[in-house]
Formats: sequence, C-alpha cells, structure tokens
Amino acid sequence: MNLKISTATLLAFAPAILNAQSASAPPDLTGVWGIYRGGPGSDPKFRPPAPGPLVLKPEYDKPYQERRAKESAAAQRGEQLDNTSARCIPYGVPTMMAIAIYPIEIIQNPKQVTIISEAFSEVRRVYLDRPQWKIEDVAPGYYGRSVGHWEGDTLVVDTVGIKPTVSGYRGMPHSPQMRVTDRIRLISSEILHDQITIDDPVVLEKPVVYTVAFKKMPADYEMVEFVCDNNREYVDENGVVRLKLHDK
Amino acid sequence: MKSLHAFRTKLCSVAMLAAAVFAIATPVWAHHSFTMFDMTKRLTLTGSITSFEWTNPHAYIEIDVPDEKGAVKHWSIEMGSPSILMQSGWKFNSIHAGDKLTIIINPMKSGQNGGFLSQATLPDGKVLFNGPRQEPPPAPTQK
Repeated sequence: MNLKISTATLLAFAPAILNAQSASAPPDLTGVWGIYRGGPGSDPKFRPPAPGPLVLKPEYDKPYQERRAKESAAAQRGEQLDNTSARCIPYGVPTMMAIAIYPIEIIQNPKQVTIISEAFSEVRRVYLDRPQWKIEDVAPGYYGRSVGHWEGDTLVVDTVGIKPTVSGYRGMPHSPQMRVTDRIRLISSEILHDQITIDDPVVLEKPVVYTVAFKKMPADYEMVEFVCDNNREYVDENGVVRLKLHDK
Repeated sequence: MKSLHAFRTKLCSVAMLAAAVFAIATPVWAHHSFTMFDMTKRLTLTGSITSFEWTNPHAYIEIDVPDEKGAVKHWSIEMGSPSILMQSGWKFNSIHAGDKLTIIINPMKSGQNGGFLSQATLPDGKVLFNGPRQEPPPAPTQK
C-alpha cells in the first residue's frame, strides 16, 4: 500500500481537519473571573440558581444547628466566634471558589487546569490526563486531589481527600468520604458557572448542590497576592474573635 | 481602569445586598465579620500617621490624634485587604508616616481606640473609601 500523500492532498484536506479539531476542542476558560451574584434586574440566565438544601443526618444536624444558634447569638452581642478564616487558615475545597468579592484565575492547558483564588492565594490543580485515586490513597489536605475531564462544553472536576478540619460549605461538618464535583462551563463569553455538588454519605442525607457564577474581569486585571502575615485578629479565652490594637 | 472599578463596585454592591438578605451560600467576607465595629456610628479623627501597613489580611493605619486640650491618643484603624483597597484607588504608597490625615471610622463597640475605616481625606485633598462603594440607583425612567 502506498502511504505517500501528496502536498496537494494534504492542503485539500487541511481545512476539514482544522474544522474537526476546533469542533471538538474544549472551550478555553483561561482568564480572571470575578464573583457574580446577579442582582435586581440581572438576566436570570446568568444569575447563579438558588442553592439546594443542606440536609445533614440527624446526629450531625443537632450539633450543627446548636453551633449556628451560638454564632447568631454572639453576632447579636457584637461578637464573632472563633472560625478558621479569622485565624487566616485557608478555606480549601470547595469554599475557596467564592470568597467575598475576590476573583479566581483559571489557567488551562490540555493536561491541566489550574485555579487560583485571590483570597489567601489558594491553588487547585486539576489533572486532565490521569485517573482519580481511591479516597484512602489521597493524603488528606485542603485541596485534596482533583482530576477532570470534558463532557462536551463542561469541565467536570472530581475532588477527594479533603480533611475534615477544613472549613466546610456553610460551616457544615464533613467526613473523609466527602467527594466534591465541579461542573464548570461558560454560559456566555463573559459568564462562567461552577455547579458544585458535595456528596458525603457519612454526614449528608443527600448531596448538596449550589452554583457559583463568575463574570470575566477586564483583560488588564492583575491578580493581587494575599499572604496573611499581619493578622491582628486573635481568639480570646472565651472563643471570641478580638482585634489586637497597637499603642503607638 | 475605570471599567474595572465600575465592575468591582457593582460586585460589592451585590455582595452587600446578598449579605443583608442572608440568602447566599458563600462567605461575603474573606477574613472576619465586622460585628466588633459599630457600623451605625461614624467618628471623624484628624491626626498624624505613625505607620501605614499595606498587609494581609488587612491594611492598617496607625495614627496619633490630639484632642482639644492637646493630649494625644493613639488609634489603630483597620482597612480592607490591599486587593479590596486597590479597587477604590488606594496604593501601597498613598500615605506615609508623618502625613496629616483626616479619617472617618466606624468605632469599636468595645470603646477602645480602634475602628474600621470608612473614608480618608489624604493630604492632597483626595478622598478614598475603604473598598468599592455602592453606586447610586439609576434615575427613574420618564414616561
């Protein structure tokens, strides 16, 4: 069989080959994305849908509700109770995806998607070219281990290995069995949605689903560093967050 | 940068609104809540800066404030993070030790000499806020 292909033949098929590649190429999520919460008058297509309910198993729900009630009572007194962020401990997965009005940066290549949050300079690395490990083989940490694949125009990210001491979604408890699935896709060239599903068969009655929406930041935006080296907040003997004042 | 400022201003407005109705699923502050400050009170201080700390999780202004009898009291003023402050025009070198400054703060509920910055009038007269400000509502459409 003659495998020689003439230059003319290649040129003739080149447009078709290029079209086929672009048709199957995943969208490019690269860029800096600011939190978009929508608001009055915003297009419902772009707003994040309302979060689903957080339903904990009764043995976890009782202490969770008690903690929330204590936090609420403290806030009424003008106090904030101890929490990890006041001690400058990063949020980890999945909370780091949406902190106040801090943007995230996404850097994408065919083998890896990297997500950097401006708040606390947190980093998620999503490997696209390898399988996920068993949960028990992942060293527990703040970001666990993330692998991803494309389902059409959606980047599906699977994360396991978040240690239970990491701040949970809305302060929820979670076990080593927690699994976080991000489904990230462009709604338009300017709007990105990340639908996050938290599944924890130990703690949750059913998976929690919520969506974070982002809007593309101006092209000249440069991410700002966030190293927590001057934390004047401290937690007193009663577990209340206080501010250290200087006298000069 | 104007477009960036407007964008972040809108974001902040939306975040504040969302916090007010307590209906969102994600933190509206990065570090801590502001319950220790009395956000209903505003106090004006004029004094001399002893240091300006452009740091995370918050920037700080340390300032000596003389009272009407000339006695000097020292105040520690918390600001947003550099990232948030940059969205309202602050830079790491906007003010320096020794500068005279007039600030409006939300004082601490404890009565200590501390507070959360609301706005600052710089030596050159420029007014800077503690992060993006809420835009005024759009004018009603005429029928």
